[in-house]
Amino acid sequence: MRMEHWWFTARLRVRSILRRTRVEQELDEELQFHLEHKIEEGIAQGLSPKEARYRALRAMDGLEQRKDEMRDMRRIHWLTDFLDDSQYAIRSLRRAPSLTAFVVLTLALGIGMTSGTFSMVDALIFRPYPVPHPSGVVTLVSTARDNSFDDFSYREYLDIRAKAKSYDGVIANADMEAVGFSPEPGATPRVRGGMLVSGNYFRVLGVEPRLGRGFREDEDQVPGRNAVLVLGPEFWKQEFSSDPSVLGKTVRLNGVDFTVIGVAPETFPGMQIFGHPDFYMPLAMARVFSTDRQKNFFEDRDDRELNLQARLKPGATLQQARTELALLAKNFEREYPKVNRSRGAALHTQFEMRTREDDINWKFSVIFVVLALAVLLVACTNVAGLLLSRARTRTREIALRLALGAGRFRLIRLLLTESLILACLGGLGGIAIGYGIVEWFHTKQSIVLMSDLPVSLPFQMDTRVLLATLALSLLTSILCGLAPALQSTRADLVNGLKSTDADIPGRKRLWGRNVLVVAQVSTSLMLLTASFLMVRGFQHSLLQGTGFAKDHLLMTTFDPRLVQYNPAQTQQFYKLLAEQVRQAPGVRSEALTQNVPFGQDGFDGVAFVPDGFQMPRDRDTFSSTLDTVDEGYFQTMGIPIVRGRGFLASDTAEAPRVAVVNERFAKHFWPGTDPLGQYIRLDGRAGTPVEIIGVARTIKYQSTFDESTMDFMYMPLAQHPIPRMVLMLRSTGDPLQLVQPLKDMVRKLDPNLPMLETRSYQDLYLNQAVRGPRIAIDLVGSMGVAGLLLAIAGLYGLVAYNVSRRTREIGLRMALGAASSDVLRLVMGKGLRLVGIGMALGLAMGFAVERLFNSVLFDAGGVDFVAYLVVVPSMLVVTMLAAYLPARRASRIAPTEALRYE
Amino acid sequence: MSKPNDLVQGTLDLLLLKILALQPMNGWSISLRLKSISGDVLQVSEGSLYPALHKLEQEGWITAEWKQTENNRRAKFYSLTRLGQKQLESEAANWQRLSSAISRVIQLSEA
Repeated sequence: MRMEHWWFTARLRVRSILRRTRVEQELDEELQFHLEHKIEEGIAQGLSPKEARYRALRAMDGLEQRKDEMRDMRRIHWLTDFLDDSQYAIRSLRRAPSLTAFVVLTLALGIGMTSGTFSMVDALIFRPYPVPHPSGVVTLVSTARDNSFDDFSYREYLDIRAKAKSYDGVIANADMEAVGFSPEPGATPRVRGGMLVSGNYFRVLGVEPRLGRGFREDEDQVPGRNAVLVLGPEFWKQEFSSDPSVLGKTVRLNGVDFTVIGVAPETFPGMQIFGHPDFYMPLAMARVFSTDRQKNFFEDRDDRELNLQARLKPGATLQQARTELALLAKNFEREYPKVNRSRGAALHTQFEMRTREDDINWKFSVIFVVLALAVLLVACTNVAGLLLSRARTRTREIALRLALGAGRFRLIRLLLTESLILACLGGLGGIAIGYGIVEWFHTKQSIVLMSDLPVSLPFQMDTRVLLATLALSLLTSILCGLAPALQSTRADLVNGLKSTDADIPGRKRLWGRNVLVVAQVSTSLMLLTASFLMVRGFQHSLLQGTGFAKDHLLMTTFDPRLVQYNPAQTQQFYKLLAEQVRQAPGVRSEALTQNVPFGQDGFDGVAFVPDGFQMPRDRDTFSSTLDTVDEGYFQTMGIPIVRGRGFLASDTAEAPRVAVVNERFAKHFWPGTDPLGQYIRLDGRAGTPVEIIGVARTIKYQSTFDESTMDFMYMPLAQHPIPRMVLMLRSTGDPLQLVQPLKDMVRKLDPNLPMLETRSYQDLYLNQAVRGPRIAIDLVGSMGVAGLLLAIAGLYGLVAYNVSRRTREIGLRMALGAASSDVLRLVMGKGLRLVGIGMALGLAMGFAVERLFNSVLFDAGGVDFVAYLVVVPSMLVVTMLAAYLPARRASRIAPTEALRYE
Repeated sequence: MSKPNDLVQGTLDLLLLKILALQPMNGWSISLRLKSISGDVLQVSEGSLYPALHKLEQEGWITAEWKQTENNRRAKFYSLTRLGQKQLESEAANWQRLSSAISRVIQLSEA
């Protein structure tokens, strides 16, 4: 139909929908007018009024059919039918309030779990970048043997930007980092999150500043020349109360003056999922921030600190861009063999980046989606079973309608309308539960993301999630409504009219119900196994302990790069700091370490070759996790040295290089020999020799679930200087009592140096290792409980219904001499067979989930038999009980009563 | 079966559009007019008249309005719309082409 045309007639159609009675009246009036004239004409021709009336009606060829024809002309009967069906459905649902309530609650639980999970998965996986045309933005990564998602160096960025032809622009950004921010010179700096970005960042992304301007490309040409700053929207609101006069204002970042030139729009919180930068600085100002001081950010091709993204030219395909990038990487490898040997490059879409295999968000998303869908499935089968039972009690009504000429399709539509209304109500409840889950996530936010930087959980019930919930409700209405609708309209008319609850012979009808029971039992067994495995795996890991002392420890982080210290000043600062805190009252011992176990920043890696070790043909080096610590570390953390010695003050920069490795490392490379006195060479065969002087006990380094842990190496700070260090203080009393004295000491050393992430270590450990995983466990656990409750209710309902349907038959059997034990066996036997099949399937699914868990969380390798020994029998008991109760009732029926039953 | 099936498909639409092009009318007057113009050749059942009118209305070719008749009764008066005018022209032209083609064929066979 043409648009113009549609517009013209839409008015009529809307009128026929909204003013239905009025339109009906007019229809009557119009025909009445015609009839009256026709009758008058007849009378005038000499007919009697009765004859005239008869003739007039005859001429119409059936008045009511004509009216129907005209109604059809309006092309809205699908809607009016739907409204009629809805009214009917609402009336019949209100007649069964407890059933309706149960179904709605069940669906609300299933849909709510799923929509809450979807809000999480949407934020982690699907939500597009907050920029115009987000699908054109791709991510470029450098690929090395051990890391297929590596960053690029500044030089590499410039080359790619200059040579690649597939893009409208290539942008670069460093990770968000802690920046010492003072609103005016002289104020004590506070820690804020800043991000270095290329000059074309906002232009290429298509982000229009809300105030002022974005960076100009020429502001990113000369290192250190343009100290300009673009504020993030949230920071502008909080720090400057949305004051527009902030443009042109000078603020101090890490002790250097910057001029505010713009504010990013509210719609652009940043490109990252969790971190939303407080402000953006041009890449050319990198020196002011915490780039690697041992390398030259602007010159060294192996100083890889930049994430690259690009906007594809319209018309350029991913394939072209990939080929081009691969070629560029080949050129790098040829021109700079030293730093680019066996290093390639790859291009990924947003979806590919977020679903990469090693991504923990993706793994968790998969687990939660699988579990949430399982809950939804149980809810659906439950409701389908109930509707099926209900539809059977309506056999007579349906048979009557069919007999009166209602089309089967029309009846199916009526029944589906009913389940649609149920699903919509359930959907509303589900949205409420979803909101609850999202709110709950937000209350846990500070636990999951414990940081001084502006990070937040981006989970929300937005339009996308609401739409998904709506779609889900529609889907569930079909899932749980279609089968009952199809079955009950297949009724045999003769039998259907004879009895209120006819049992149509044939296996087909029972088959559907059996599938429901099996699906329910198996899915809830899987859910239960999942939650049980989680809890047990977690407790097991906690009981193992970590291998070091966690109490009475205060931690705080320093980064002297924030106040522009050079390496010598940095060393001097840490030396003075250590001397001062050592003498402070309440401090038992003190240590410096690059990272703490269970910390949020990952450990560094180190590449090495053990002397005299036969290297495999395809490798040049091995790699190990690395921590750089001072001589107080092992004692302060309570990590025992099992052989040799720890570091000493005599291991200075001038002394021979030494390292301590963990037991696993020692066993790995020198099995059966003494590791002490062995040498490794850093970065390859010709590298610096380092002597192994001690073996430390293997502890858990990154998570409670570390079972096998990893190779680990410690280097002394004096020989491997690192600017950003964590100070650990072991206290005699409450570690937090030391915070104020420590602040005073640091202020005396340098009033501008901020203390980052100051807290008791116990606090960090509990958050990272206990409360964090706890959230996941609570969620999975509640899903398991929900699944189990639903399955019990569903099974009980089905067996009870089955019994009530066979009351007559049971009565007959008993009248003919069957004992009540026979009846019990009859009723329960079939239920138990179904439960058995369900359990077998559920076990298979449980094993699959355990493998999934092992690959993500525990890495225990084996099968947790105890878990199954608990879950399977308890499931069996519960399901047997659900089948036994109604069966027992059946076995106690008095035959006389049962035979009268109708 | 009602009579319009004897009419060439779509002819009733054309007739109604043409009649309404002359002046707005109510259903009863239309039925009288149809009978008086075409005599007994084109018999249109009164029953199929109203569905046809409603269809034309839904297509947007005619529009309806409640007005008083000469003897002061309320009746639904239909009139042609701009869209209907266009439709009438194209259908009339179509009909002309068709009927002249058919008569040419008939004359051919007699020659």
